Amino acid sequence: MGQSVLEALNVRVVGSGEKILVLAHGFGTDQSAWQRILPFFLRDYRVVLYDLVCAGSVNPDFFDFRRYTTLDAYVDDLLHILDALGVERCTHVGHSVSAMIGILASIKRPELFTKLILIGASPRFLNDKDYHGGFEHGEIEEVFSAMEANYEAWVNGFAPLAVGADVPAAVREFSRTLFNMRPDITLFVSRTVFNSDLRGVLGLVKVPCSIIQTTKDVSVPTSVATYLKNHLGGRSTVHMLNVEGHLPHLSAPTLLAQELRRALSR
Amino acid sequence: MPTPVSTARQCLTEEAARALDGAVSVAKRRSHAQTTTLHVLSALIALPSSILREACSRARRSAYSPRLQFRALELSAGVSLDRLPSSKGASDEPPISNSLMTAIKRSQANQRRHPETFHLYQQLNSCQPSISAVKVELKHFVLSILDDPIVSRVFGEAGFWSTDIKFAILNPPTISRFAKTRCPPLFSGNFSELELNKRGFNFPFPGVVENVDENSRRVGQILVKENLRNPLLIGVCANDALKNFVESLQRGKIEVLPKEIYGLSVISIEKEISEFINGGLSEDRMRLKFIELRDMVAKCEGPGIILNYGDLRVFVDVESVDAVNLMVSELKRLLNNSGGKLWLIGAVADDNSYKKLLARFSSIETDWDLHLLPITSSIEGLSSRSSLMGSFIPFGGFFPLPSEYEPPSTSQSSTLCNLCKEKYAQEVSVLKGGPTDSVVGQQSENLSSWLQIAERDLSKSSGAVEAIDDKTVLDAKVTGLQRKWSDICQHLHRTRSFQEENSPRSQFLGDQPSQVVSVLKESTRAGSLLDEGRITNLSPCNSLDLQNKLKPVASDIDANAKAELQVQGWKIHQLEMNVLQNPSRAQHNWSLPVDCTLSPSVTPVTTDLGLGTLYACAGEERRNFNPKEHYDCTPYFSGSSRTSENTSHQVAQSSYCSYGQLEKRIDGKDLEYPWKVLAENVYWQIEAIRTISQTVSRCRTGNGSSRGSDKRNVWFSFLGPDKVGKRKIAAALAETIFGRKGHLLSVDVESQFEIRVCNSIFDHQDSEYYGLKKCGRKMVVDYIAEELSRRPHSVVLIENIERADFLVQNSLSQAIKIGKFRDSHGREIGINNAVFVLTSRFLKAHDDLFSGKVSYEFSEEIISDAKNFQMQILVGSTSGSYSRNRTGNVLVTPSKVTAIPCSVNKRKLVNNESTKAGMPKRMCEMSRSNLDLNLPIEEMEQDSDIDKCDSESNYEVWLEELLGHVDENVVFKPFDFDSLAQKILNVINFGFQKVVGPDNFLEIDREVMVQILAAAWLTGREKAVEDWIEQVLFSSLMEAHQRCHVTDSVMKLVACEGLVVEEQFSGVCLPTRIILN
Repeated sequence: MGQSVLEALNVRVVGSGEKILVLAHGFGTDQSAWQRILPFFLRDYRVVLYDLVCAGSVNPDFFDFRRYTTLDAYVDDLLHILDALGVERCTHVGHSVSAMIGILASIKRPELFTKLILIGASPRFLNDKDYHGGFEHGEIEEVFSAMEANYEAWVNGFAPLAVGADVPAAVREFSRTLFNMRPDITLFVSRTVFNSDLRGVLGLVKVPCSIIQTTKDVSVPTSVATYLKNHLGGRSTVHMLNVEGHLPHLSAPTLLAQELRRALSR
Repeated sequence: MPTPVSTARQCLTEEAARALDGAVSVAKRRSHAQTTTLHVLSALIALPSSILREACSRARRSAYSPRLQFRALELSAGVSLDRLPSSKGASDEPPISNSLMTAIKRSQANQRRHPETFHLYQQLNSCQPSISAVKVELKHFVLSILDDPIVSRVFGEAGFWSTDIKFAILNPPTISRFAKTRCPPLFSGNFSELELNKRGFNFPFPGVVENVDENSRRVGQILVKENLRNPLLIGVCANDALKNFVESLQRGKIEVLPKEIYGLSVISIEKEISEFINGGLSEDRMRLKFIELRDMVAKCEGPGIILNYGDLRVFVDVESVDAVNLMVSELKRLLNNSGGKLWLIGAVADDNSYKKLLARFSSIETDWDLHLLPITSSIEGLSSRSSLMGSFIPFGGFFPLPSEYEPPSTSQSSTLCNLCKEKYAQEVSVLKGGPTDSVVGQQSENLSSWLQIAERDLSKSSGAVEAIDDKTVLDAKVTGLQRKWSDICQHLHRTRSFQEENSPRSQFLGDQPSQVVSVLKESTRAGSLLDEGRITNLSPCNSLDLQNKLKPVASDIDANAKAELQVQGWKIHQLEMNVLQNPSRAQHNWSLPVDCTLSPSVTPVTTDLGLGTLYACAGEERRNFNPKEHYDCTPYFSGSSRTSENTSHQVAQSSYCSYGQLEKRIDGKDLEYPWKVLAENVYWQIEAIRTISQTVSRCRTGNGSSRGSDKRNVWFSFLGPDKVGKRKIAAALAETIFGRKGHLLSVDVESQFEIRVCNSIFDHQDSEYYGLKKCGRKMVVDYIAEELSRRPHSVVLIENIERADFLVQNSLSQAIKIGKFRDSHGREIGINNAVFVLTSRFLKAHDDLFSGKVSYEFSEEIISDAKNFQMQILVGSTSGSYSRNRTGNVLVTPSKVTAIPCSVNKRKLVNNESTKAGMPKRMCEMSRSNLDLNLPIEEMEQDSDIDKCDSESNYEVWLEELLGHVDENVVFKPFDFDSLAQKILNVINFGFQKVVGPDNFLEIDREVMVQILAAAWLTGREKAVEDWIEQVLFSSLMEAHQRCHVTDSVMKLVACEGLVVEEQFSGVCLPTRIILN
């Protein structure tokens, strides 16, 4: 049984190190997003890679629209993978939605995680009374209707925006993975993500966290990094990356890899 | 190539062959050229008692009558067949199409691997090793037919889920739907083909119950646990989730709970608690309530009672500790005495309140046996038809929409055409039945992906070069068209007599009307079948109205449509589908005037299909006709070819020699000549050049190298300032050793982090002169390895080595020791013929030199920001008193547009600041003291914070070690910009007084001065700048002076912000012409 989940979510374990490092990709990408980061860790870590069920590289039939209505289902997937692999302790590097998943997983099973590294993470994307998440409700609706109206056009417009930095290869790569997702799944997942609100539970995280934030991120304002730092229950640090964009692992992999190493060594 | 029917028949068992015969006859009857999977489907459906029919009836999920759903299936199969082109000279036996033949082959393979028959074929194989020996049984034949996307689309249209049907075929009829979700995969080794079947049972998580939101399901799971079974929901949306859970229990939705505790009743004491704690309810009453509760629990016959104490905030916020204490202890007592029949449930909005609660009642967690359940999303948006879901048209079916559960009212149905009505009814039933609709949604996307490809074809044909631009325009057009068509389509279904009415449209529709008509006909038939009493009659005025509206639209389309005819076929169909699938929306449209239907929320959605393969090939296609990407893919080529063009004439004397000859030449030849030329070009680094030439001759002759004599590669490190000088020398090295500058491979490790200043004077130079290309997203090691494997005889210039990443560090350390350069994949490339030049701005060995440096007026950092702007001379009269300074009549003024260069400066410096990971602390401190003026304090602090966190020691150690291994550490002197500036000013002053006169003054904008200095730095000819002053500046000054006829004027030489130099003065990056005012 367990085997089939590993198979379905394309779980890969690579590297020759002792310590276990989970690289979890974010919304709109798949594990290939870590391709440029991976070589930096193969020597010292055993790296676990997997695809979120919503990724384009996973058979869309596995995406159960009734099950994946909240992030908890994704958390179950992650925990299941770790259990199936017999992982007892690991460091979880999560980008965007996977950062949220990592947070929830560490609440559920704190003993499993030595550290969380959150890249481009946000507990809540929508603005609130005294919280600036970066998106107004109306904006989101516009994004959704744009997505519905013409997915390809949306992808082509959104990808450069998300990548931020002027790195055509990264834009291309992100467009590709984003495009690989079935549009209805993309829409559904983004609704799930925008519907999620982790603010009330951040304090339950007891695992130390490193928050990696780029200087300009369309999806996550820098104030969110501070918010996370202040509200996360464990010891947490913020690292600012001096690049732009929501996907530093695509647009500035070398820099991110160095930052990750630094974050990991602490 | 189609296959003859007889060949295909040989692969099939008797039964399956009969099905194939049926298909062939269908194809023949319809005079189609080939027999396809659709024909097989049609033949299978036509049989009164086929395996497919039987499976369909079992797989049916909707509450709709089977007769009607079969009818829908027949219809959709019929429509699909109608769409196939018919051929004039159809043969007796239309041959088997490729897709059908593939399906047959697939089923052969499938059957062979099937566990039931595996051994049989293994034995068979031993004597007859051909796979074609397998005779396909009907079951497997049908299964692989179902895999065909065209077929599954037909099923989707009829509201079937082809997965379900496959299950039904594979499983004996006794297996119920519930059991199905738990049975193990039938084809563990057959992942790709029957992967659809894996859905559901693949994930070993409790099956999802329909109509229950995820949060409630989780609550239910906690309730059945042995201990820690009293959920406390925590999170911003926790209260909503709690409310939702309690309400659904109260409404008797037992599906919320796991089976073990069906019948759990819920009691909310939320109100009482808050009243009591706030003093509204007396203690006695409260105690009474608890006694009552205790009785209820004791008497309870079902699995038990769940007690909802509501939001915990009231426990925290209120001052009267006594009341809260009482509550906590009473609840604890109640729980302990319940004998497992009582559950507590509550919610709290954030962890802060929970912490406060814990602070007050440290043992509450164990007393109440709490299980914290983080709730991170509200069910609001998902379970009810909130505004969030409003626009969620194509997938509307994913969410239970209670309002649509009622049978359609008469007013509703009267506005729908029959076909729409049938589809609508179907949709409603499907909704009730479960998630079958996701397939329907998928189908519509399926279509649009075809559409996408069609679009792409179209854009390809219409001018491939500007494909990108074209495509966006086209997209817009197509969307516009689509909207119009959606209108028309909706009208079509309503105006039955459309043929007589719509002559302009039918003209260009060509062969499409027949299809539409057939749909219409079928709709009428279906309508009468469905519900004769409800056939609607359009009021005459309504249809007349419509006609009027239709006409302008139609003519509009006529104009647009020429190019898109090909696309339309698909589009029409797709739009129909959209309308059919969303009848409620369609109806909505119907009531609006035509123009309003253009609003995005009501236009049918045209999302693409996510079939991975389709996208993959689509992506490929795109890549193919995108010239820009081509360019990107071969960054080196374009760079190198240009470089060689530029330089070939200079080095023509040696460029055609073979390498062997070359090296001989180097060995024997007196190195004096090329070095002398270089020394003229880079006159300020004569010391360094001398060292380099000595090292080259020493290493190349094979003696004196510190690392063994068989080593042929040479390693240099160029330390210190003067970026340009280093590059020039590296280029000259390439030319000297390998004969051409094309053999220079330069990589700036830092460039990928640097925020580049646009319009820099260096940009131009970088790409044209040195072939410097950013390696883009390619990793530095991969880039170097790739280039080196292509041209092993190269000078590799790695700039800013101190910023090298981990991989570059490793590879370099290894390369310098064993002569092999490793890329990120672990492949190794021999570097025995290469020369490595590592540069760093910092002098490791001579820190004192650097830190003892006095600050210059024009430092290298400032010059590096030089722009490549056009210049302009402004003339004004002397306003203030200008006195002669030491430069005479010429002076440099701070730039007028200080803001811009300043901020650029700052950004760059900040950048330097935060990124100099490899530098010793002392250096950071030092350079920081220089930057004080430009940096806001906070920023500096923030950056230094990060700096301090750096694990710098690694880098330092590595760099020390590496520099210890290189053949020669060459120290560069800083370029003396200040004295050059003085020299230039003197020249200008002298000339100015001569040309314009001693009573006038010239102010040179600082930015212009920087530009001139940068040009002097970059140029290969020492005299080039003086020539420029002589020929360009003075003539312009003279002309300006003559124009204004003022004796005592002030002239200003300023840069035109944003206007880039177009023509260059020979040999120097300065404009050939200065704009006069």
